[in-house]
Amino acid sequence: MTLLSVRDLNIRFTTGDGDVHAVNNVSFDLSAGQKVALVGESGSGKSQIALSIMGLLAKNAIVSGQVMFNGNNLLAASNDELNQIRAQKIAMIFQDPMSALNPYMKVGRQLSEIVELHEGLSRRDARIRAIEVMEAVQIPDAKRRLDAYPHEFSGGMRQRIVIAMALICRPQIILADEPTTALDVTVQAQIMHLLDDIQRDMDTAVLLITHDLGVVAGFCEDVMVLYGGRMMEKSKVGALFKSPSHPYTRGLLRAVPNIHDQTGQLHAIPGSPPNQMNAPTACPFAPRCNDVIDTCWQTLPELTGEDTQRACIQPVEALS
Amino acid sequence: MLNYSLRRLAFAIPTIFALVIFAFYLMRLAPGGPFTSEKPLPPAVMANVLERYGMDEPLYVQLFTYIKNILCCFDFGPSFSQKDRSVNQIIASGFPVTLTYGFWSAVFVLICGIPLGVIAALRHNSFWDYLMTGLAIFSQIFPNFVLAPIMVLLFTLSWGLLPGGGWNGGQWQYIVMPAIGLGTSYMAGVARLTRGSMLEVLNSPFIRTARAKGLPERTIIWRHALKPALLPTLTYMGPVFVYMITGSVFIDVFFSTGGIGQDFIDGAYSRDYSVLLGLAIIYCVLTLSINLVLDLLYAWIDPKVRDAL
Repeated sequence: MTLLSVRDLNIRFTTGDGDVHAVNNVSFDLSAGQKVALVGESGSGKSQIALSIMGLLAKNAIVSGQVMFNGNNLLAASNDELNQIRAQKIAMIFQDPMSALNPYMKVGRQLSEIVELHEGLSRRDARIRAIEVMEAVQIPDAKRRLDAYPHEFSGGMRQRIVIAMALICRPQIILADEPTTALDVTVQAQIMHLLDDIQRDMDTAVLLITHDLGVVAGFCEDVMVLYGGRMMEKSKVGALFKSPSHPYTRGLLRAVPNIHDQTGQLHAIPGSPPNQMNAPTACPFAPRCNDVIDTCWQTLPELTGEDTQRACIQPVEALS
Repeated sequence: MLNYSLRRLAFAIPTIFALVIFAFYLMRLAPGGPFTSEKPLPPAVMANVLERYGMDEPLYVQLFTYIKNILCCFDFGPSFSQKDRSVNQIIASGFPVTLTYGFWSAVFVLICGIPLGVIAALRHNSFWDYLMTGLAIFSQIFPNFVLAPIMVLLFTLSWGLLPGGGWNGGQWQYIVMPAIGLGTSYMAGVARLTRGSMLEVLNSPFIRTARAKGLPERTIIWRHALKPALLPTLTYMGPVFVYMITGSVFIDVFFSTGGIGQDFIDGAYSRDYSVLLGLAIIYCVLTLSINLVLDLLYAWIDPKVRDAL
């Protein structure tokens, strides 16, 4: 059952130098309990997609398209209408646990205010819920830690609080924006396990935004690859890792350091991310692509295919 | 917290001592003295006067006697220029006046400045924001010696609403114009400062988190944004309050409030060592206490500071 349906999402930002086309014609669906990864390098527009769903884009953003949830287009919803959906139906986990929590407020209060507001709980009951959800994200001694301030927690513990905030109303969808990027590798694994367990218990749909392909392989079923604000490839995780079908995806996978690589060299994709000051008219990856042909500079490839969808005019067999 | 306050009070004592010694010697370095006049006094009379005020002794003995009198009897000595008045009397009559309208002026600065700043930030880049910022800049550069006569012209002479000067035991009618005259430019400063810090806080990631919780805008402002946005204002208000009390000379003179600013000016002109020194000590104690109150307020707002205490 499709919960969330994003259609032809375009996000532009007006700046003094002109419009930046951050997200171009992105469409995807999210079903109940599905775990989808949205992968791309910095600036590819992945966080902006999540923020547009929450209605939290910066003021200079111009957004078009549709984000359908329960028959409502969230892009056209008023702030009051969105406030009925935020946290209750769709929650977001933010990237940096150091700055995502209010440093002047006890963590317990930052959790309990959510259920006080949305479920009309009394202060006492809301505190009990806060303890429960802190225990659910495995914060030891939750009852005592309720009255601690964010700076009294380690980075990993703070990220658990941020996750607890997203979970406390048992939302149908969680948008996790790089939930482990700011953390140590060992803590990363713990947090991803935790998310995985909770996701299974609550049958929540998760959109995992990341640039870490290792995290994707361990957690998700489906992957969407974003480049220059355009969808390059949509596929099952297994298929993507076994036989990536888009030149950009191939480049990404080659860039993951491999311990069996005897040369000891690191592989980078040559060139730099595209300038997004103009709406794309050709494949945005063409300037950095190994397999570029003349037509690539003239046509804007659309996503095509059945199980694996790809936006590339060349057949898979023709790629190097 | 109590421990910290006591420690701070203990540190205040050597600070006050250092100030007394420094100010004592510095004043004596200035040319002239309390009894210098165009027509010099006959040497015999001068010697008598100096002896009467203990000024025939070496400086360090005078300093010692001065400090001893304060410590044992809380006696700041006689005024050198105002006959038959002691420094204690001068301070007792003038300081409460200055402190009273200084306090109400600070209240005016805060209850007008903070809301103006917050509203300007919430209506960022709108007509109201520009109006508020424009007014703030205007009143910040508007000197009180221009503002005070205009107020008197309007409120006293034209409309007859408020008395043009005097104190009359501190009835509210007599406090309004001194308080506004003293506070207007600081009020504008607070408004601009609050606007800036509010804008910064509203753009911070933890406010975005609060929005993602679906909290209504009102709750976001009051519960999440206001406290951190007020920290810079608090920092600004400490020295400003001290400055308002000590720098109220013009207001005291213009509105004839009988405040302490007038005594300070007179004392400086006539080299009235004991009045100047007494007032310096009062200002010093005031500054130290306000700084302590500020630090405690900081600790109340910011849990990180609290842990450091």
